[in-house]
Amino acid sequence: MAYRILIVDDELTLQNMVQEILRQAGYETEVALSCAQALERFRAAVPDAVLLDVMLPDGDGFALLEKIRQVRDVPVLFLSARDEDEARLRGLGLGADDYITKPFLPQELLLRLRAVLRRVYREESHAVRLGEVEIDWGKGTVRRSREEIALTAKEFALLRKLWEERGNIVTIDALCAALWDGPLVGYENTLMVHIRRLREKVETDPSHPKFLLTVRGLGYRLRREGTT
Amino acid sequence: MKLRSLLKGAMLVAVSALLIVAVTLLGLVAFIYYNSNGGRDWNTPMEKLSSTLLWDGTAYSFTGDELLEKDQWAILLDQEGQVVWSLRKPDDVPERYTVSKVASFTRWYLSDYPVQCRVREDGVLVVGSPKGSVWKHDIAMDTQALLQTPIWFLGFFLLALGSVLGLAWVVLRRWFRQEQQVRDAARSDWINGVSHDIRTPLSVVMGYAAQLEEAPDLAQEHKRQASAIRAQSQMIRDLVNDLNLTMRLDCEMQALRKEPLQPVAFLRQTAADFLNGGMGSGFDFEIDLPDTPLPEIKADPFLLRRAVNNLLINCVRHNTPDCSICLGGREEGKELILWVEGGTMAGTVQMDSSQPSEPDGGAAHGTGLRLVAQIAAAHGGKAEFHNGTPYRCELRLPVKE
Repeated sequence: MAYRILIVDDELTLQNMVQEILRQAGYETEVALSCAQALERFRAAVPDAVLLDVMLPDGDGFALLEKIRQVRDVPVLFLSARDEDEARLRGLGLGADDYITKPFLPQELLLRLRAVLRRVYREESHAVRLGEVEIDWGKGTVRRSREEIALTAKEFALLRKLWEERGNIVTIDALCAALWDGPLVGYENTLMVHIRRLREKVETDPSHPKFLLTVRGLGYRLRREGTT
Repeated sequence: MKLRSLLKGAMLVAVSALLIVAVTLLGLVAFIYYNSNGGRDWNTPMEKLSSTLLWDGTAYSFTGDELLEKDQWAILLDQEGQVVWSLRKPDDVPERYTVSKVASFTRWYLSDYPVQCRVREDGVLVVGSPKGSVWKHDIAMDTQALLQTPIWFLGFFLLALGSVLGLAWVVLRRWFRQEQQVRDAARSDWINGVSHDIRTPLSVVMGYAAQLEEAPDLAQEHKRQASAIRAQSQMIRDLVNDLNLTMRLDCEMQALRKEPLQPVAFLRQTAADFLNGGMGSGFDFEIDLPDTPLPEIKADPFLLRRAVNNLLINCVRHNTPDCSICLGGREEGKELILWVEGGTMAGTVQMDSSQPSEPDGGAAHGTGLRLVAQIAAAHGGKAEFHNGTPYRCELRLPVKE
């Protein structure tokens, strides 16, 4: 089932473009040009998420967010030309799930929307593929050549973090934060040990990894290619 | 420009203060001189008056009534202190006086009447004026003190002048600051408004260009053109962002949200974001961090990331992808140095390679490097731009005590 997104923006050209981007990405869309129209569409169309401009002809997006939340608790992403800290902090402070500043690239919008939807609706498939290996998030195991290998809690958290950011470099500090609740100095060697053990479980040749790659001095990257 | 206006204002106030002080003092001296014994010779009418009071052997005859005001009175005391002649003498003025009383009223008042005296051969002529009409004050001063008067006067004058100038400085500064704030707010609002109005159409340009870039049925040549439009739009976006922030920092309208920052983690994350964003694609990127942990600093992570990112983007924009970019950090004394090195910056600006460049990196660099210098300054540090091969920029930030 495709998610339905309500786009609230008074700029018709931009609204059309966002609509096209979302439709091409497989989303259903609803549009509104004003606060009043947005509330009416929100009640009628029951969207799964809202993309909200801050400055609207009959009010501001902050007030509209509060009204929307009174009706139903859905993820809201601000899409605003206001880049001041105050506006961003106000939006996030009111409980918005993200604040995207215009201008933005279509890919950035899609990635951030997807991240919010995944977080809010716990959208996840139980099993994913990493090359020849199948990862079962539900069971916390990896299956390779019919052999099922259990992941330890730390390995699971590590793989999960890298999977969520796959294609991107995840710094040593961010991985430590995911594993030990903070960028802790001195945990780097322990992290390396966990990485080595994880490679033994997910890589065909752990000495020459194809998926879990080291980015020298920075951290690690899980290759996007070959993952499904 | 601001300093020049401030100096002009200060000079104007100083001259005004001097003029006010000089006119006031001159007026005061002239007034005192004119209205006191120094200005009016009280002795002359007394002498004249005395000459019109004559003893003919049996009685006194007085012909100087026109020399007295109608409400003035006169008495003549003999050597014994007895009133022997009088003109319009009030009832509360006694008929007889002791030596001590005479000594007292000659300086001050007689029964509260201000009086003037004239010593004659046959006694003392006393002329009284209505009560409260004249204020009398006896001044006595040590000769040494009198000689020091000019020095004291100069001292007080300088003190007064200093106070006036100090007050003027404070008032003027506040006034100029208020004026500046109003101008800054107007300028910032204008830039904010313009950048706001640019952002929405730029979103459409960037968005459609990016979509065309990915369109499967578009010719390669057109995809390349779309890619150029997207890349140039991103440059305009960065310029608008920099312009906005540089203006806010310039006008002190950007509040610093400082928090404890681990430099190593910060540099790694900034580098990762830079590479993940695809900006460093094709470049040989390195990170150079010391083995020992760098000291924690208090900084605004958003602004500092912007500064380092600007330096990295600068390297990318002014060099071809075959060159290497290095990001690093080190501790030097009480300073933390975050540096970016790479490329030659050819085609941007010519600078003396042995010397640090201008704080704003030279006008040709535009807002990007100016913003770096501003962010460094906002954190109590400075940015140094060293031209040469490779081009190097250092952000020197004070380490928290």
